[in-house]
Amino acid sequence: MPKRQYTAKMQITLFQGLLVSVVTAIISIDSHLEGFFWFRPIIVAPVTGLILGDLHTGLIAGGYLELIFAGLNGVGGTIPPDSIMAAVMTVVLAKTTNLSVEAAVASGYGFGLLMQAISTLVLTGFLAFNKPADNYAAKADIKGITRLCWIGIIIGALQYGILTFLSVYAAQDAMRNFAEILEVNYAWVLDGFSIAGGLLPAIGFAMLLKVMLKVQYFPYLLAGFLFSTFIPYDNILPVALMGVAFAMMSFFNDGEAKGGAVYDEEGI
Amino acid sequence: MTKKAFERALTKSDITRMSIRTLLNQATFNFERMQSIGFTASFAPELKKIYGDDTEGLAKALSDNLEFINTHNVTLAFLIGVMLSLYEKHESLETIRNIKVSLFGPLAGVGDAVFWFTLTPIMAGICASFANDGNILGPILYFLVFFGCFLLRIPLGHIGYTMGTKAFDIVSKNIARVNKAASILACTILGGLIASYISINVATSIPVGDSVVSLQTDFFDHIIPNFLPFVFTFFIYSLVRKKVSATTLILCTLVASIVLAYFKVLAP
Repeated sequence: MPKRQYTAKMQITLFQGLLVSVVTAIISIDSHLEGFFWFRPIIVAPVTGLILGDLHTGLIAGGYLELIFAGLNGVGGTIPPDSIMAAVMTVVLAKTTNLSVEAAVASGYGFGLLMQAISTLVLTGFLAFNKPADNYAAKADIKGITRLCWIGIIIGALQYGILTFLSVYAAQDAMRNFAEILEVNYAWVLDGFSIAGGLLPAIGFAMLLKVMLKVQYFPYLLAGFLFSTFIPYDNILPVALMGVAFAMMSFFNDGEAKGGAVYDEEGI
Repeated sequence: MTKKAFERALTKSDITRMSIRTLLNQATFNFERMQSIGFTASFAPELKKIYGDDTEGLAKALSDNLEFINTHNVTLAFLIGVMLSLYEKHESLETIRNIKVSLFGPLAGVGDAVFWFTLTPIMAGICASFANDGNILGPILYFLVFFGCFLLRIPLGHIGYTMGTKAFDIVSKNIARVNKAASILACTILGGLIASYISINVATSIPVGDSVVSLQTDFFDHIIPNFLPFVFTFFIYSLVRKKVSATTLILCTLVASIVLAYFKVLAP
């Protein structure tokens, strides 16, 4: 493979465009499922580079982007800027425009933000899966529930395959304009969906509370809420440990009241 | 029933298969119940094996698991392992639910801390430095390490299953106390989840004389931080108890979010 440096201008062929789109669609399934971590820029960018015949640019772009994305993750049900689109488009822009890899990273990141917005919309649409799932469960239809999973996976793959093909081959400029228009003129729609993302878990929690909450447990809910509010932390573990303390107090106090506990000292 | 020779419904290969099927966990991720459908699909075939001809029991077990869940995709196998061992011994659905709700948050905490906050940045640092030198070892090393993380699901599933089986006798001897303790733990965690997952940010401010009073920072945050998420959750809870359907609640929340974003009452 000839080692070309950053600014070589090239035209992407239809075959390359299709190949990048298909590979992106496959990698996006992994991103969706968080299975093998192929969706990280360190993997996506070199693979894209390889398809475009320039592994070196892919590696450099992957190295840059991986460090940028090291702190961006989907922990706690949030949607981070999209690492796949950012990596693919960084390599594509570095190869097809005069941008250096470093400069292409900034533009590529813009596509990552565009995909983040689109994913927020798609996952909002995924709310529609909950009702059929309940119906399948009521009929003990396991195949139905599994089928819903596959539909979700296929929708995600199509979302990436199509968007990548448009961005990489069919309508690069139009996509860049679209990203800008969306961000400038219709920011409120995207804001609305982000706001909803912060509210909707309340419905899931309310359903759980309906079956779990009894008046005598309310103090514990309040304690967990207060602890988490005043000692914010990046995971729920400290609250859980406090919950374990409460649970143990209850467990052992009840044992004493009944006169002698019936538990195995050695534990689990 | 524990006294009798206990016949297992599941084999070791069932647990291995379940651990691999946890890949489905995020297939229909959405903001209301997050991973619930994929989570259920991960071990639905094993549930079917346990329940056999008891379609009604299977339907109840499946429906139970379609409630809100959000945990880490690797440590998840451990949780399902524990749950399957309890299902296998026909532990009450209430107990299993309590154990699930009290485990998924902490397991997410452990998983996120180990994989997202520790391993990902470390691997990013190491592999990016290789990639920046144009060395293909960067992506290859990254690929291998995270493939190993995926394989980790299998031993975790088996450990969970074995621990669940061992813990069962202690649990069944103290079932009332364990249920109470688990409910306390689950409610504590739910309180913490309300504070950390639900966010409401009021953008409205009211001019008062020369100064501007922000409703969020000058009013609500002064009552108590996370005041609105708490009130909102219990507002939804009261509607759920009045049998308002989840679909209605979701649609109203979405519409309200977009309208409130348009008028800049709420901000993301």
